[in-house]
Amino acid sequence: MSSVDGRSARQSKRYSVTALYLSMSANERDMEIEDDLAKAQKTLRDLKTKISAQSKKNFVLEKDVRYLDSRIALLIQNRMALEEQNEVANHLDDAADVQEGSFPNDEKTQRYGNLLFLLQSEPRHIAHLCRLVTMAEIDSLLQTVMFTIYGNQYESREEHLLLTMFQSVLTWQFDNTPEYSSLLRANTPVSRMMTTYTRRGPGQSYLKVVLAERINSLIELKDLDLEINPLKVYERMIAQIEEDTGSLPATLPKGVTAEQAAENEQVQAIIEPRLTMLVEIANSFLTTIIDNLEETPYGIRWICKQIRSLSRRKYPDAQDQVICTLIGGFFFLRFINPAIVTPRSYMLVDGTPAEYPRRTLTLIAKMLQNLANKPSYAKEPYMAKLQPFIHQNKERANRFLNDLCEVQDFYETLELDNYVALSKKDLELSITLNEVYATHSLLEKHSAELAKDENSHLNVLLQELGPAPAQLPRKENKAISLPLFSKWETAIDDLTAALDITQEEVFFMEAKSTFVQIMRSLPSNSVVMRRPLRLEKVADAAATLRNDAVMVRKGIRAMELLSQLQELKVIDRADSFSLLRDEVEQELVHLGSLKEKVIDETKKLDEVYRTIRDHNGYLVGQLETYKSYLHNVRSQSEGKQRKQQKHQVLGPYKFTHQQLEKEGVIQKSNVPDNRRANIYFNFTSPLPGTFVISLHYKGRNRGLLELDLKLDDLLEMQKENQEDLDLEYVQFNVPKVLALLNKRFARKKGW
Amino acid sequence: MRQRREYHIVVLGAGGVGKSCLTAQFVQNVWIESYDPTIEDSYRKQIEVDVRAICLDLTLQEQSNLPRCGQGFLLVFSITSLSSLNELAELREQIIRIRDDENVPLVIVGNKSDLEEDRAVTRARAFSVSQHWGNAPYYETSARRRANVDEVFVDLCRQIIRKDITAAQAGEQEAYSRRRERPIRHGRRRRREKQRCNIL
Ligand SMILES: Nc1nc2c(ncn2[C@@H]2O[C@H](COP(=O)(O)OP(=O)(O)OP(=O)(O)O)[C@@H](O)[C@H]2O)c(=O)[nH]1
Ligand SMILES: [Mg+2]
Repeated sequence: MSSVDGRSARQSKRYSVTALYLSMSANERDMEIEDDLAKAQKTLRDLKTKISAQSKKNFVLEKDVRYLDSRIALLIQNRMALEEQNEVANHLDDAADVQEGSFPNDEKTQRYGNLLFLLQSEPRHIAHLCRLVTMAEIDSLLQTVMFTIYGNQYESREEHLLLTMFQSVLTWQFDNTPEYSSLLRANTPVSRMMTTYTRRGPGQSYLKVVLAERINSLIELKDLDLEINPLKVYERMIAQIEEDTGSLPATLPKGVTAEQAAENEQVQAIIEPRLTMLVEIANSFLTTIIDNLEETPYGIRWICKQIRSLSRRKYPDAQDQVICTLIGGFFFLRFINPAIVTPRSYMLVDGTPAEYPRRTLTLIAKMLQNLANKPSYAKEPYMAKLQPFIHQNKERANRFLNDLCEVQDFYETLELDNYVALSKKDLELSITLNEVYATHSLLEKHSAELAKDENSHLNVLLQELGPAPAQLPRKENKAISLPLFSKWETAIDDLTAALDITQEEVFFMEAKSTFVQIMRSLPSNSVVMRRPLRLEKVADAAATLRNDAVMVRKGIRAMELLSQLQELKVIDRADSFSLLRDEVEQELVHLGSLKEKVIDETKKLDEVYRTIRDHNGYLVGQLETYKSYLHNVRSQSEGKQRKQQKHQVLGPYKFTHQQLEKEGVIQKSNVPDNRRANIYFNFTSPLPGTFVISLHYKGRNRGLLELDLKLDDLLEMQKENQEDLDLEYVQFNVPKVLALLNKRFARKKGW
Repeated sequence: MRQRREYHIVVLGAGGVGKSCLTAQFVQNVWIESYDPTIEDSYRKQIEVDVRAICLDLTLQEQSNLPRCGQGFLLVFSITSLSSLNELAELREQIIRIRDDENVPLVIVGNKSDLEEDRAVTRARAFSVSQHWGNAPYYETSARRRANVDEVFVDLCRQIIRKDITAAQAGEQEAYSRRRERPIRHGRRRRREKQRCNIL
């Protein structure tokens, strides 16, 4: 958001407008500037587009993988009826990339273009729809809304429209929820929306940049047991004693109560230092989060701000503490904690954390939450031991939650963004046919509520479109690029009136942006660059430039604008057009520091992009594995086994110990260092879905060990989070083995 | 001496319906007024001399993993929220899938029965859900008034114990016939059939 620094509202409007004007004109070929800033900005823009597209892809893939996760166990146990196998297979076929396509005819394209333009630019319709749909319908609606309709996650107009929609749903929720305690908690459309929102690019980058390192360093300490539940500590303790000594002393009976365990001195001695460590770790998390206030995505902060102002309005007597609880109910509960508790699903770590670190992370999440909420130690009395952490940090946490809310609103820029969008001819939405049809049918289903007024634009469009088409089979679903435009052409003149912008202001904006462009294109050693700027000289220098028609045109236009503004008495030649001049100078200063910022941001986003691409690779691999497996099972149950057996044997492929170690396939090796160079492995697939891994020692004919593996065994192990595959001499990592097999033995259909 | 038994009970349902309050009432006899959303809590309670219930009070982060070790499930909704009832359907499906058992012990609980004036789910509606779900028992409870709290847990424990006994008798045979259905695998490394439970 642009800063205002105490200038008058009128000026501030101009200020933000110019920024927009710049971004708008950057799209116009002949106005394009080629300085370093422009190049850096372009790289950043491209990167953002890629992140937006990729995070949508991942979101969809994750759903597919989750769906299969839930069904693969049945399949492995051979307990899935053939019918369901077919259903699963259909679900998967061509799940990968949807082909490009178009609507059956131009008329449809145009009408849907009108409809989606309306939905995008007037968020109230979708906001209303979100309250009407069932919880079963809301997930796919939100997917379309967050990743498609407002899918350009870094574009201010779409982001702001999305937030406007949020606000409308939030306000309704506040008005219709009797107790504030359940406001953001119960599974309402709002809470779903918030969760989905945090999965957009900016939220994901924040988590990656701010939390990944902390979490990873914790996870590396696989054996660090920080359990503080006395009962569990006691049980682990006596199990250990029993293992070490073969028996238990009479003083340590089995099956004690929680109170008895808590009173045991040995238990207390174990817990004491753990409390200190937990507090230390939780402190470091909190400090990181607080220090990164400025990294927190604008949208997330703005939602916090809405929660604060809506709560204040609804409960005027509420204490600051109550309000902080509500803000924390979003920020910690919906955004930070899920990532801490299940870091893998947020791409923050590679594997599922081991048992001890997992528990530590859960405890940390509880501690952070207790900061925001009034904890009731009645539930887990041992948590009370961590109270000092709450006392020490309560104040700074509340201050932080309030600081989160300190962001500017965007309404003003939004109006102007919309204005810009309308004047652009090339608004487009990339969307799939099924997304369009699903949205259409939801609108149709709820049209009685949504389009009460017969003459409303929405109703007119729905009437024109007629009944919503059914969902297409996955194969026929197509990705289309839908041109968006309003059915009701609003002339820019009317809009200026509606937006409360005068013709003078339009000229002023244009003048400012033209001068800035000229300044950016002129060589920096030119005399006209000296401050204070003399605008006529600048215009003149551009207009008389040799061999640069574009600059000449800009120079002439700049002169025209100066005299028009002079006539309108907006600026005055007598004071060297100081009003305009000061703003141009200020803008240039702002742009100067902008370049650093742009480069900085690009670096961060690069990292994010790499992560989500890796994650995409992982998801695609997982999907492939499941698919091949499914094909296998099906062709077997269709009785084609004999035919399949004619399949040629694949392999053997040879891998050295070193290779597999490097790829992480070998996660532990008992082979002495000096022998490793002599060890190698052969991977063979005699049949689809069957593998033989053998371990060899150089120079010996016979393998030391041979292991028959079935793909379904591996999948089952993975499903149960069993990551070790024991080969006596070495331990393989199950997911990595799967990835390797996937790469090496991919047969056309089935392995 | 009889073997000590432990049963794993999982309490599930939408946010804010009162799962933690119910569990706290059952285990500790306390009423909690304030709302402290759960991340993941576990409790134990001695039911009989040698039977303990381990209660896992969860909240679902989106569709995070259900624990595979649960032997019985309390599916809780609030009678003041229809959508909280609707959400149970998906949960039940997941449970059946994970346990791989249509008749997994479960009890449907309509909590906050003290808020009669805010009732949004009629008894008839809840009963019809129960009928559709193989006549799973339905109770209305109030954690606030401690009404029907012990009953739901006891009912669930009874179901689990009954199942445990039948399973012990039929167990061997079942396991055998199940294995035969599976494709023949040579050189397969059998792992323990027992489900691992990381959470408890
Ligand atoms: N009137 C009334 N309020 C209840 C009852 N049970 C719980 N509540 C209130 O509902 C709110 C939420 O209760 P919890 O038990 O924390 O809800 P939960 O289901 O554990 O919620 P999550 O942990 O977020 O999933 C608290 O403010 C309770 O005081 C009840 O039987 N009657
Ligand atoms: Mg709870």
